[in-house]
Amino acid sequence: MIKAHIHKTLSNANGKMLLDIQLNIKKGQFITLYGPSGAGKTSTLRILAGLLSVDKGQIIIGNKTWLNTEKKINITPQERKIGYVFQDYALFPNMTVRKNLEFALEKHQDKSIVQELITIVALEELQDRKPETLSGGQQQRVALARALVRKPEILLLDEPLSALDIKMRTKLQDYILKVHRQYELTTILVSHDVGEIIKMSDEIYCLEDGKISKQGNPSAIFTNDKLSGKFQFTGEVIAIAQEEVVYIVTVLIGNNVVKIIAQKSEIIDLGIGDKVIVASKAFNPVLLKIEK
Amino acid sequence: MNVFSGHISDIQVNESLSMVSVRINEHVTLKTIVVETPETASYLKIENTVEVLFKETEVIISKEDALSISIQNKITATIKGVKKGVLLSRLTLKSEIGDIIAIIATEVLNKMMLVENQEVIAMIKVNEIMISR
Repeated sequence: MIKAHIHKTLSNANGKMLLDIQLNIKKGQFITLYGPSGAGKTSTLRILAGLLSVDKGQIIIGNKTWLNTEKKINITPQERKIGYVFQDYALFPNMTVRKNLEFALEKHQDKSIVQELITIVALEELQDRKPETLSGGQQQRVALARALVRKPEILLLDEPLSALDIKMRTKLQDYILKVHRQYELTTILVSHDVGEIIKMSDEIYCLEDGKISKQGNPSAIFTNDKLSGKFQFTGEVIAIAQEEVVYIVTVLIGNNVVKIIAQKSEIIDLGIGDKVIVASKAFNPVLLKIEK
Repeated sequence: MNVFSGHISDIQVNESLSMVSVRINEHVTLKTIVVETPETASYLKIENTVEVLFKETEVIISKEDALSISIQNKITATIKGVKKGVLLSRLTLKSEIGDIIAIIATEVLNKMMLVENQEVIAMIKVNEIMISR
């Protein structure tokens, strides 16, 4: 449904870089762009939205051409059916939540969508408040609703949850999935959070230096299907301590902290912040029912 | 982690479980049980090269080859080095498939009077060994 081939020379901290990527995304898919800073993820979103020009390329959405440099077609951002949510919420501070949403309406558009969105992302009690009186998570919910006012076909999310704490993040992820399904959106998310990516996306594109280095199913990319251990999680190292003849490695998996006994050979090139796969056999864990 | 490379020499399948034998060398074959079958895991093929992995903390040390013990994987080895901690100790064992590391309780190390150059048997239960291709 989204077919794009993008060519653009970008300047980043390391000099010039050629962004050269092809996207082939089916309607209704949830895609994540993953990769280090400066790899071209945000530029890709901006190009899709028409906020950044390309050197050459084309973007075809369904049977509509949004961009074709050879044929000199380049429709304006306003004509592209896109909702865009950024890391900072970019709400109008002088308007209430409801007014922020209404301001996004197109001329002559039916206003009922505003009420519908307020209900879906649970903003009823906040609708008459100004953004500054809201928490980060609440503001981001408003920004999400506002991005959907014009009923876009494509939702672009540029690290929308990275400023939020883990609890708020989980809640917002659920809202995003809800609107993604309800409005049959095709969604492209930029995220660094492996747990988030596995939870939300159907497919992941790994970007490195402006090129797609890997593409596929997120759990296949982040977990190790070459290992027979069935008890596998991806996490982040938060501490490494040597005790007696072993090391104790503390790993954050989702919002759970686990500890693993390791040997020197396992931690030799491991540092704080590194992503790791924690694996064990399905035979080892025990299950305890949590009493209600 | 203890890692050894070998070839799959036998696979017994029942429903979704497989008992896989991995031949490390002429004399040593390690068995492991996995929640995979040749249908679900492409690497489960006779003669395929795989690695077997097991944690140091899962290695059991015996001074004699007790037949009346429910452990299938047994490897004869010699203690090459002992590093004593307060509660845990680290043994480096020299075996014909290479060095095996074992972490055992210091208390048991003292009780068994395990010292360098002593011959022992390293044992690993079938459910403690993972396979990696």
